[in-house]
Amino acid sequence: MGNKGFYYDMSVCTGCRTCQVACKDKNDLDVGANFRRVHTFETGHFPETKPYHYSGACNHCSDAKCVKGCPTMAMHYAEDGTVQHDAAKCIGCRYCTWNCPYGAPQFIKEKGIVGKCDSCKELRDAGGNPVCVDACLMRCIKFGDIDELKAEYGPDLVQEIPILPSADITRPSLLVKPKTAAFNTEFRETEV
Amino acid sequence: MTDLLKKITGKEMNRRDFLKASAAGAAGLALAGTGGELAQVANAAEADAVVNGEGEWIPAACGHNCGGRCSNKALVVNGVVIRQKTDDMHEDSPEYPQQRGCLRGRSTRKKVFGADRLKYPMKRKHWEPGGGDKSLRGRDEWVRISWEEAFDILASETKRITETYGSRSILSCGHPNNSLRKLGGATIFWGTASQGTWVLAPHMMGYMPYKYSLAVPGAGAGAGMYTARDVINDRFDIRNCETIVMVGMNPVWSSGGSPTYHWLQAKKAGAKFIMVDPYYNDTAVSMDAEWIPVRPSADMALLLGVAHTLISEDDPVTNPLIDWDFLNRCTIGFDAEHMPEGADPKENFKDYVLGTYDNIPKNAEWASERCGTEPDRIRYLARELRKDKKVAFVCGWASARTNNADNLPQLFVTIGAMTGHIGKSGHMTGSSCHVYGANGGLPLVNSGGTGLPTIPNLVDDCFNAADMWPSILKGKYNFTGNYQFLPGEERDINIQMIYHGARNTLQTTENINSGIEVHRKVEFVVAQNYVPTMSALYADLVLPVTTEWETIGGFTFSFFTNREMVLTHRNVTPPLYEAKTDREIDIGMGERLGFTEEELYPFGPKQQYFNQLATCNVIQDDGKTFGPLVTITKEDIDEWGVNGTPQEGKITLKEFLEKGVYQVKRTPNDNLGYIAFENFRKDPEANPLPSSESGKIEIYSKAYAECVNAMGYTKINKPYPTYIAPVDGYENSFRNWETKEKGDYPYQVFNPHYLRRSHTIFDNVPWVREAFTNPLYINATDAKKKDIKNGDTVIIENKYGKTLRNAVVTERIMPGVVSLPHGTWAAIDEDTGIDRAGADNMVCGPHVQGMGTNAYNSNLVNIEKYLGEPLVPDAEQPQRIIF
Repeated sequence: MGNKGFYYDMSVCTGCRTCQVACKDKNDLDVGANFRRVHTFETGHFPETKPYHYSGACNHCSDAKCVKGCPTMAMHYAEDGTVQHDAAKCIGCRYCTWNCPYGAPQFIKEKGIVGKCDSCKELRDAGGNPVCVDACLMRCIKFGDIDELKAEYGPDLVQEIPILPSADITRPSLLVKPKTAAFNTEFRETEV
Repeated sequence: MTDLLKKITGKEMNRRDFLKASAAGAAGLALAGTGGELAQVANAAEADAVVNGEGEWIPAACGHNCGGRCSNKALVVNGVVIRQKTDDMHEDSPEYPQQRGCLRGRSTRKKVFGADRLKYPMKRKHWEPGGGDKSLRGRDEWVRISWEEAFDILASETKRITETYGSRSILSCGHPNNSLRKLGGATIFWGTASQGTWVLAPHMMGYMPYKYSLAVPGAGAGAGMYTARDVINDRFDIRNCETIVMVGMNPVWSSGGSPTYHWLQAKKAGAKFIMVDPYYNDTAVSMDAEWIPVRPSADMALLLGVAHTLISEDDPVTNPLIDWDFLNRCTIGFDAEHMPEGADPKENFKDYVLGTYDNIPKNAEWASERCGTEPDRIRYLARELRKDKKVAFVCGWASARTNNADNLPQLFVTIGAMTGHIGKSGHMTGSSCHVYGANGGLPLVNSGGTGLPTIPNLVDDCFNAADMWPSILKGKYNFTGNYQFLPGEERDINIQMIYHGARNTLQTTENINSGIEVHRKVEFVVAQNYVPTMSALYADLVLPVTTEWETIGGFTFSFFTNREMVLTHRNVTPPLYEAKTDREIDIGMGERLGFTEEELYPFGPKQQYFNQLATCNVIQDDGKTFGPLVTITKEDIDEWGVNGTPQEGKITLKEFLEKGVYQVKRTPNDNLGYIAFENFRKDPEANPLPSSESGKIEIYSKAYAECVNAMGYTKINKPYPTYIAPVDGYENSFRNWETKEKGDYPYQVFNPHYLRRSHTIFDNVPWVREAFTNPLYINATDAKKKDIKNGDTVIIENKYGKTLRNAVVTERIMPGVVSLPHGTWAAIDEDTGIDRAGADNMVCGPHVQGMGTNAYNSNLVNIEKYLGEPLVPDAEQPQRIIF
């Protein structure tokens, strides 16, 4: 059995940002804090432009730098292997926001502490899915055992693309079904 | 339960603190529904703990004209909305998909409970009967007033203006309420802001399998919608296509919810996608489509080039591109041998395309000069449409929402007819968008009616929206009926009152600057809304109205629905602050004008909602007949305290109200499939098309040309599709077309539907403002020439107005073209006259074309880097909080 994490099908993602807003709703986040965020990139030049989107949250890494660097053990592993954050222990030092190469932990100014994707653990414990999974209009986000997801969604899944850090750093529990364009190292991020 | 709120919050906040906190973006705010009491939820985790077993998921309205029809639910704990979700009523599969909502639906609680809600009736500080200093509209201060005073002002001004100038001096934006109707009615307006020329053309050239009457005032609006419903095969059949050619369509942004997911199933089944669009849009990204770039408002030229390629390259034996059998049997006007009786044989489409008589072949090179698509790509597109492939040749309405596009639907259908992609499985041609995207066919389930009698509007005056403001300023307009396409009749008109009963018309109508002039000229302006829209801000009197979450319940668009389901929604929260429902406002106004509640509304909202539920119907097992949807018992009727009769349906009342959705379960090869024009194609003589004179598809349509040319706007050349250089199109961007010297407004701008809002709805909600930043999209080469970098503030201007946006420098848009998303809330700087919000209608010209077209996607502008105060991101701008 592998770790638990997200599968993301970039190849059909529309960049609609429904997952991002569903996550804000679930976690009651105001502007500025996003536990899941969609980014849009483009590669190539007119008329051979190849854009793609990336929807990213916490990757529940097996070598999570946020856990390692947390001085109060607020960041910790839960019994199912996901990375969790204990708000009561957080002192808002923000080390995790610097240590995480994916930018997953978010400092929430109004509360003076950090927050991040908990993979909707209480919903999962009750038999449900993370809200982003059930929100996706294209059904391109899944959560579960990484080995099982790999078996289900095929051999072409990756953990690294040029917009992401090397998977060696934190060993993310992440599977991406990429677009070919996502391997182009000359990418530009754009607003939508 | 009663002290649950205190359990959640541990403290209470007063209104001022709430607003301060909300404006500052404090985490975890929720608003208690009773008595306007406000409270803060300590944090989401704590709320979750409380929620266990205590909350209720209530089907909540998602009633926006967005092109999606989706399930929405609010988790309500003792009046506090904690969270939202979408459809999870059954297991999800591509065959029987959940009807999932998008980011807008999921942020509805931020709209309903926003700090920028209009909370109390208010009047302009310097308002006096007759208007006072009318130039202060849009810049005056606001004074909170009582409902009594508000109703007194509303009724007395309406009465005075009606008595002085007559009922036709009142412009009602939105349907006139019953009080206005009782008093004598009001002037209204029509337009083709949605469908462009598709609203009429298919109904006259025969490209509709059913006959819809255009004679009844207003009926044409619905008939226009059906041009995307009745002509495309159903969602299972699109999986049989080998190639799907999309022209000017982006369902990801314009049909939220399921349509793009349906197209995805075609892709998974192996279809290749080709996107013909000025912008490589997100539907193209998602479908990995090939891109054929084309300039805005240039599809006429492009498709003539396609037609020329088809005609000149076709060889029935060695290179069969054209379906001659279909052309011969099912159309008239293609060539000299297939002309309607009495027509000059020289006046045929084929000879026009070949240039037989005008010596101008409309070949790919000719087309390319006008539409910007490389000649080889035009020829490639033609070959991809060949008859021996299974092709869906589909479009949105955008390309027909341009100047001089009257012949575009006719040409589009002509190409589909030439290649035979009509009336067979895996073949289809026409518009596929809005709620009907990717899923043609009559609805399988329908919501019911309220049963309220319609009080007629005794005024027949009806502007065309596009030139409404200049017409009011002139005091004259061209009357062509209300979606009736009547011969033009010049009428005098003296508008002295504007009633913004619904909509945000000042914002959504072309030429905002002349709209403001009108608003500062008339004697009285009243607006009812739930947020301070532009139309509300330029009023004298503002009436706070409830959102659908605050009403007793109802249906989300009881017409124009998703084919396979109906949605009902219940009350989520009592009215917030002092907001009243539209009905209550109508009655408050009417009583002061001498009408009783009984005269205006013979029965109450509960009976109306019950009637709607009771008259829903659904397809029966035979796949043909309809029966009642909802099972209603004697006990239900007693419990509701309404008049009704028990009935047997497919779902109990209790279950329907609990789920909020009924979805017909479809399976592949069931008896609910739809192939548009199937019988017609098989035997056109036995199954003539009911909407054309000849019963065939009229490539040559005398009736259409005569109708358009009698309306008194611009004319078309011929009864068959011919090219007219569009007003404010590419050719007009040159001072000299021959030498290609550019003019003052060298860039073409188009206005796509934008996923952050539904037209203008949601544009104030911070969550979606953060997700979609509402930029101006500009090609990288153009940006370089103008020294514009990503994020720079850019001024977009033409002779109609000036507006600002941050640039997104991109390779996804054609050079020479900029894209300014439709519908943002204008914010005009009174000192400079510059709009800082990027409102599309600042730069959209007030042209009415041909059959009454509102031409959004053919405008010309100049762009420059803006040297004044730069914009801050929309999501960081303060909300419009008045009280």
